[in-house]
Amino acid sequence: MDAKEFLVALKVKTGYDFCDYSEQSISRRLLKICEEQNIQFEQLLDKVIADSLYMARFVEDITVNTTELFRDPIVWISLYKTLYQRLRTTGIITFWHIGCSVGLETYSNLILLKERGLIDRVRVFGTDLNPRVLNVARKGLYAYKFNSHFKNNFEEVMSGIGSKSKFEDYFDVDEVKDTMAVKPFLTEIPKYMQQNLVMEKCPFPYKVDVVFVRNVLIYFNDVLQTKIMQMIDSKTYDKAVLILGKQEMIPTKYSGQYEQVGYYHKRM
Amino acid sequence: MSDYKAVVIGGSAGSFAVVLKMLSQLRADFELPIIICMHRLKHIRSGLVESLNVKSQKEVIEPFDKQRIEQGKVYLAPSNYHMFIEFDGTISLSVEDMNNQSRPSIDYTLSSAAVAYREKCLGIILTGANKDGAKGLKDIADKKGFTIVQDPKTADVPTMPKAALEIMKPDLILTPDQITDYLNKL
Ligand SMILES: C[S@@+](CC[C@H](N)C(=O)[O-])C[C@H]1O[C@@H](n2cnc3c(N)ncnc32)[C@H](O)[C@@H]1O
Repeated sequence: MDAKEFLVALKVKTGYDFCDYSEQSISRRLLKICEEQNIQFEQLLDKVIADSLYMARFVEDITVNTTELFRDPIVWISLYKTLYQRLRTTGIITFWHIGCSVGLETYSNLILLKERGLIDRVRVFGTDLNPRVLNVARKGLYAYKFNSHFKNNFEEVMSGIGSKSKFEDYFDVDEVKDTMAVKPFLTEIPKYMQQNLVMEKCPFPYKVDVVFVRNVLIYFNDVLQTKIMQMIDSKTYDKAVLILGKQEMIPTKYSGQYEQVGYYHKRM
Repeated sequence: MSDYKAVVIGGSAGSFAVVLKMLSQLRADFELPIIICMHRLKHIRSGLVESLNVKSQKEVIEPFDKQRIEQGKVYLAPSNYHMFIEFDGTISLSVEDMNNQSRPSIDYTLSSAAVAYREKCLGIILTGANKDGAKGLKDIADKKGFTIVQDPKTADVPTMPKAALEIMKPDLILTPDQITDYLNKL
């Protein structure tokens, strides 16, 4: 059995479908698991079928959850100066963070919404495949020292938008416990929900104004990327805005429908 | 031209100057795509592709995810992303954890090229201060691709070429100028 055959068997036996993930990256991760545990794909399959805890762990291991506070600061500074100035001036604005991981992207957005004075008019959803990262996102609690670049990014963004806000305005830092906790006035806003993009519908009933889908589509081949775009399309308002990762493009089939404005894509 | 599908190059400390010179001296009608994975210093995240483009005979691109690899173009792994060559001749990117303290990881790019291109891959390891890339070059050799290591004596920092030579036997060990000559004669 090779990696491809394993993924087909996994889909048949468990319903988890990773067949349309970018092949090189997922194969490498699968091979690494087999190597580390010194097993063959046949045994790996038996194990994930037999043990749901092992399965959850396995799903986490083959997906990539790395994220940052204000990843790519120039992107956030630019969004603040463009997109956030142009958001609707009446009613509730709905944001959806697809593949939100441990929530740092959600909180980056909320901090800028607070800076813009919009935070009382927003609805924010974060969805992801992994229940564990969603639990971390709900708590908004992260290791501090290991993540010192978060603070650097924060400061770069604040200085870029001309704000005097301090890290401590948004985070409670405990150097002894080595933790940073997002303040409750932010953690109480977003709703985090589990969703497997490959086969599940969006888990909330609202239409969306702004979609963050950064560094998620890169893990999918073009067939799956197009399918996800279709779902996004059906869940968003006409003039919706999409924010992709720095090195991502709108999948070809949809590229004609979006216009790029700086670091975001607006549906025409 | 040759039977190769692409030239894949890895390097870190000192390799920028080598790559710059190589790209400026490569003949203008060199057809093979050149795929480069270079470690970058933390504080110099941007500007690399711009400075390469000034001197290069060919267009140097920091690819987007799923971008198709085309003849005659040069692709440089974007900062903070791993870069993989897919079987269908496109590039895919990933933000997963660092490998050998590096993102992009040269091992990842070279190993993916090894399985995607097999014997039609030409892999090169240049000067560098890290062992990242050695395993990738070995993977290319194991799949019967052609491999070149920069002569450690000519390397600014010989750690990377030496790490490769420790675990594999390349087809050629060359100085930077000889590497360019070799490519120009393909
Ligand atoms: C690299 S993280 C991106 C985090 C954040 N958006 C950023 O750019 O920093 C990718 C996320 O996509 C999630 N993901 C992968 N496959 C998924 C799927 N089928 N359905 C939903 N989420 C998925 C992973 O669990 C992971 O948290």
